Amino acid sequence: MYQDYLGEVKKLLHGKDYKVVGKNVIRVDAIEKVTGRAKYTTDFIIENALIVRAVRSPYPHALIKKINKKPAFKIPGVVAVIIGDDIPGENQCGYYLDDQPLIATDKVRYIGDIVALVVAKDKESAWAGADAVEVKYEELPAVFDPKEALKGDFKIHNRKSPGDVKVIKGDVEQAFKECDVIVENIYKPGSQDHAYLETEAAIAIPEAQDGILVISTNQGPFRTRNAVARVLGKPQSQVRVITPYIGGGFGGKDTYGPIISSLAAVAAEITRQPAMIVHTRYDSFVYHFKRCPFEIRFKSGATKDGKLKAIEVDYLCDCGGYAAHVIGLLKRAAYHSTGVYEIPNCNVQGIAVYTNNLPVAAFNGFGNPQMLFAVESQMDLLAEKLNIDPVEFRLKNALVPGSRTGTNQLLDHSVGIKELISKVAKKADWVKKRSKQKRWQSETKKRGIGIGCSWHGCGTTGFKHDWAGASVILNPDGSVTYSTGIVEIGQGTITSHAMMVAETLGIPYEWVKVELNDTSRMPDSGETHAQRGAFIGGTAAVDAALKLRKKLNKLASEILKCDEDEITIEDGIAYSLNDASKKISFNDLVREMYQRGISPAEYGFIKARRGYPDPDTGQGDPYAAYTFGCTIAEVEIDIETGEVNVLRLYPGVAAGKILQPDVVRGQINGCAMLGLGYSLTEVVERENGKMVNPSFTDYLIPTIMDKPEIAEFISVEDEYKYSGYGAKGVGEIAFIATPLAVANAVYDAIGVRFYDLPISAEKVYFALKRK
Amino acid sequence: MKIKFQLNGQPVEAEAPIDETLLDFLRNRLRITSVKKGCDLGECGTCTVLLNGKPVRSCLLLAVQIDGEDVTTIEGLSKDDNLNPIQEAFVKEYGFQCGFCTPGMILTTKALLDKNPDPSIEDIKIAFEGNLCRCTGYDQIIESVLRAAKLIKR
Ligand code: FES
Ligand code: FES
Repeated sequence: MYQDYLGEVKKLLHGKDYKVVGKNVIRVDAIEKVTGRAKYTTDFIIENALIVRAVRSPYPHALIKKINKKPAFKIPGVVAVIIGDDIPGENQCGYYLDDQPLIATDKVRYIGDIVALVVAKDKESAWAGADAVEVKYEELPAVFDPKEALKGDFKIHNRKSPGDVKVIKGDVEQAFKECDVIVENIYKPGSQDHAYLETEAAIAIPEAQDGILVISTNQGPFRTRNAVARVLGKPQSQVRVITPYIGGGFGGKDTYGPIISSLAAVAAEITRQPAMIVHTRYDSFVYHFKRCPFEIRFKSGATKDGKLKAIEVDYLCDCGGYAAHVIGLLKRAAYHSTGVYEIPNCNVQGIAVYTNNLPVAAFNGFGNPQMLFAVESQMDLLAEKLNIDPVEFRLKNALVPGSRTGTNQLLDHSVGIKELISKVAKKADWVKKRSKQKRWQSETKKRGIGIGCSWHGCGTTGFKHDWAGASVILNPDGSVTYSTGIVEIGQGTITSHAMMVAETLGIPYEWVKVELNDTSRMPDSGETHAQRGAFIGGTAAVDAALKLRKKLNKLASEILKCDEDEITIEDGIAYSLNDASKKISFNDLVREMYQRGISPAEYGFIKARRGYPDPDTGQGDPYAAYTFGCTIAEVEIDIETGEVNVLRLYPGVAAGKILQPDVVRGQINGCAMLGLGYSLTEVVERENGKMVNPSFTDYLIPTIMDKPEIAEFISVEDEYKYSGYGAKGVGEIAFIATPLAVANAVYDAIGVRFYDLPISAEKVYFALKRK
Repeated sequence: MKIKFQLNGQPVEAEAPIDETLLDFLRNRLRITSVKKGCDLGECGTCTVLLNGKPVRSCLLLAVQIDGEDVTTIEGLSKDDNLNPIQEAFVKEYGFQCGFCTPGMILTTKALLDKNPDPSIEDIKIAFEGNLCRCTGYDQIIESVLRAAKLIKR
């Protein structure tokens, strides 16, 4: 059932170089995006659509005693006021767990929890209506610190934790006895806002036969469809979701997409009129779910020859009022807690804890940046104690083909991290700078260099399923219609799919048209997250295209009267390798397919090649493959202001085959900047769990002025044989490594280690004063 | 209030409520949805249009303020699929990802290159300081501007 797609493709191409894959092409979405024609959710202007405004709780934790809709109806223009009990289907929108009502009925659990929807003819009425709805609350004690929440007498839900995770391997106690150096610290990486430039929005439109159409900002059209079907009490076939271009996702719209879609859908269903809900920037900052803050106690030990022996890790994830995405990211963090190293003894225990903070979302790295921040800080601390260079120490312990991970997964191939570390270190001129840097210090500026290594399992974590479909239809004129449920959120994946389809069929890339993302006419490809768009979604594309290619080869061999193995198709011409005069054009071949009654359409469907780790020990294969990253950062710190200026970044990835080099570079540089924000400036300030700096003036995402020099990325193409063209995912890996490298570089510069993120100028300033 | 202005070289006459922002006016009344609303507070640059050739944030202006003026949106840059050199440069240099900031970036490029056909990287940074992009990390935007400058000079 798991095909060696890489081998199959190479065989079909008779070992020739790729014509499309690995090249830079004009992106599928390019022309629309540079002409302004690309449509995003709010660009679908629906005549007379009703406006939906949520009534949100001002209290972090309270019982809802009474809701009085009446005052809202005094406002002309208000059409409906919807409370939880009005929801036609099930009032439930939890992601992994059924713990979150779409509209709260008995109690609220964070500031912003939705208690009612006001639906009105125009924005002013909707807003005024939302202010007019009277809600009586009875406040309950609220808790914002997860440790307190665990200990104290708080009942946010009927249990304190939505889930936990363990990774138990070897004998940690014994191993620590054999260690020569042990380092133990507590790390507190914080929250972060996605701050994509397009805020969350959804439009719902009643359709024929009781159906409903939703157009929304989401990263999972089918998950969105299923969520909407559930709250409407309709079969999934009656809900259709169109996912247009998305103005940035980074995971946030994976979590909030189904929620906001459901809100619009409920309003449209109840009023039987088109309805839309759009978050303002303030709404987006204050109400959409964000990166999960962690608190991690991390103990690691090594022997004096520099070999890692054991880790012992306990950590808490503050998930806020509902579980949302926390269970997945909690598990992912545990399964990656060894970092990119072979460590024979592990005792890792993580738990998610309900508090009255804003719930947490998927966000680039999905728990990994938090965990690996601890891992990579520990690595530098150990190296220092052992008096070994940090790069050398990492190389001594890095995973290699044949290694086993903390979950005891055997990595038999596609493990390029060791080569990657060496190459990045060489490019950054590590050895020289690491020593010379020490001497370059002015009165007011101190420089440092640091390294961070990351890894990220491709595809969803092994506790839920991971499949993807794709469909390829050959048209009689030789053009190709391609459909996937993978969403174009900016990352360029649908272009990669079109490229792989073209390469596999032997036609120019321009002949492949990617269809609008519409659940009524495309296969379920799962969500666009977890670095799976090209990796799993793209493999489904190759699966479908391969099936067609085999049919085409067979047919061509019959027509050209030669052996099937001799047939190749290149640039839209099928011919015999032994006699190039035997040839037929691709469109003639396809027309012949139609005439002979051979189906010109194929559906690809694949499942990730991985397992489900044991819940008690965490042992097993949680991911099919891992992408590796390594970044080196050079920083300069102004000791008078505490400001950390990142001078240069040297990123690198071992992500298998790079399908589109320039697009991957864009991903890497974009991730680096997102990572820089998390490292230095993006502070989510909260009061009673509510963000209190909700604007781009107060929440500082990197501008063009903050851009360091980013070196051309290093790539180790450690191809993975079970995916299309040997690609692995690349969307998150460079993000993860950035803060780790920056934090280590800061330490190198000023000798102060920060155990929390971001490392704001203020923190550095006070730390230097204390020193 | 009735306003008259030039939009992408064409005269336009339309009714504009006195408290409506230029951004809402363009999007909702004239259906020019290439002008994006990233914040509505003047902080992100996605709503950039050119007013008499200068980049402005349409969320900070009222529609009535453009009475008698000349406004350019990205629609004014190309006809059909004949891309303007700036657009071509953004395609070739991958100066966009999600594309939400792109119309604003391209118009800012136009204003910059009209004034300064040979900008340095520093000049580009200053011109784009108010245009946020969360996806690209800015490098490929800078490269797009540099390529556009070259294409225009040719
Ligand atoms: S929408 Fe005008 S600057 Fe953001
Ligand atoms: S391309 Fe997404 S914000 Fe710039």
